[in-house]
Amino acid sequence: MSDAPQDLPEGASRRLEELEKGLFTSDLSVNEFLLIKEVGFHPLGFVMGSSIYHTGIQTRKWGQSQELTKLTGAMYEARELAMTRMEEEAAELGADGVVGVRLDVNYYEWGKDAAEFIAVGTAVKAESGVSHRNKLGKPFTSDLSGQDFWTLMQTGYIPQGLVMGTCVYHIAHRGLGQTLGSAGQNVELPNFTQALYEARELAMTRMQDEANELDASGIVGVRLEEKSHQWGSHTIEFLSLGTAVVKTSDQVTLPTPLTIISLDN
Amino acid sequence: MADGLGQLPADDGQVPDLPEAAERRFSEGAFTSGLTVPDFAACLQMGLEPVGYVQGFCVMQWQWYGMGSPFGTFGSPFSGGTRGYTESWQCPHGYVSAEHRGWGQNYEQSWIEDAWHQGFDGAYSRMLEEASAAGAHGVVGVTDTSQPLGDLGVLEFRVQGTAVKVAGAAPPADGRPWTTYLAGQRLAKSIEAGLAPVSIAATVASVRVWAYCVTEYLTEGSSGSWGYQSAAAEIDQMSKAHMAVRRIAREQIRGRLDHDSLHGASMITSERELGQGDAELQCILRGNRVRRFKAFDPLPAPRPTVRLL
Repeated sequence: MSDAPQDLPEGASRRLEELEKGLFTSDLSVNEFLLIKEVGFHPLGFVMGSSIYHTGIQTRKWGQSQELTKLTGAMYEARELAMTRMEEEAAELGADGVVGVRLDVNYYEWGKDAAEFIAVGTAVKAESGVSHRNKLGKPFTSDLSGQDFWTLMQTGYIPQGLVMGTCVYHIAHRGLGQTLGSAGQNVELPNFTQALYEARELAMTRMQDEANELDASGIVGVRLEEKSHQWGSHTIEFLSLGTAVVKTSDQVTLPTPLTIISLDN
Repeated sequence: MADGLGQLPADDGQVPDLPEAAERRFSEGAFTSGLTVPDFAACLQMGLEPVGYVQGFCVMQWQWYGMGSPFGTFGSPFSGGTRGYTESWQCPHGYVSAEHRGWGQNYEQSWIEDAWHQGFDGAYSRMLEEASAAGAHGVVGVTDTSQPLGDLGVLEFRVQGTAVKVAGAAPPADGRPWTTYLAGQRLAKSIEAGLAPVSIAATVASVRVWAYCVTEYLTEGSSGSWGYQSAAAEIDQMSKAHMAVRRIAREQIRGRLDHDSLHGASMITSERELGQGDAELQCILRGNRVRRFKAFDPLPAPRPTVRLL
């Protein structure tokens, strides 16, 4: 990692300097903006981080289901780098956190086996001046929308970080003998069930390990995504994502929900 | 609010053990929840605490081969192998040729339905096992999918949801957790209306259509030399198949309700064309099995709302 870009690019510093003067950029919708203000935060600026990563290749055994640990490592590391750089931009602005974070992977023609991992979001700061940074002293990150952020704050939970876990898994090909052995029947293939189950549980457990490092009480909005990227149909990345939250008060300020039979749908 | 979220009798579904990673996931600190934040907040409000995102899978070898074969001119309708619906048509033309379809038949593919249930019910009971391992009273916001996996000729059934505990309630007796497709807000409404979730219910019906000459020509849109109008005309064999597949799904789900009612049902019928006039129809019917636990309280009067969405 010696040649990794350590500093923010010049363009970024200039943009961030201007943001410090008070002008802010944000991709929040009007309602999101108002709700974030309402809950005592002010948007500071749109922040991002990216990492172009050569994910390499790994040999797989044709007939065996297995985790491809090198690829798992690469996919994880690359997202982590993008996230860290986004956090650095946010820290530069003196932010308490980043909301509405999106993580994307892009592939370009010029880079074989290379992918751009990008993280973007809106940096926010508490107007009260009380620090809301997480246990590690970094701005919290979260993929929650403004509305979700507001609602969560009313339930006594605050976000700590966008946590993720990944597992790249190779699914065995089936030999002719195996296929013929069960030809003419629709039957369970327990080895496949077990392999895919294991892969998803690994991704989720890794996500939970990240949350535990933040001393989180839970993870909300968990999503489990599956992508084959450019590896062909037998290799699948299982990515699990969610926002780690911590309970800070038992006081729930969410108004008691009122049952409404609404006239719209 | 949490009354009506009680226990159900155990069943004898046999399932494999949880993978090591799952056990570790449930034994450690942070909970996981697949709910949206509004649903999460509504669940907390109802006294339901998320304990973990739970999941069950079943990978099935899957081929849509049918029994029997196209009947051609001389074949006779397929009999046996299926239970339930079967219906046949005979060529009205009295014409014999190798290209003329003398017989047509619709029949229920009960083996496909059985295989589907093996996959779905297998994945479902594995999800329940995870939920039980997490000490849950119920599972909310269940989603299910069945998707082909790569080019393997296999179909993977997935059932996932968020396991919840009822705050302050005794640990669940050795019963199985209740389950529902509904999450926070809509679940709250259902409970307020006096309906407690029992379980999700889902079934599939599968009907194979082997076209006979009339169906074949009508789906071609040509009248041929047989005197049929190419203008709008009902394709009797297709209509009957569509009606049958829906009726079978409804009958099957009724058999799974055991005197409870089904709420929020959705019925999805899809058609896979296999040849001119030949098709396979599939109807998936799913919904929430609910049981009344208190008298119906009239809900508030409907009113228009203005919201900041």
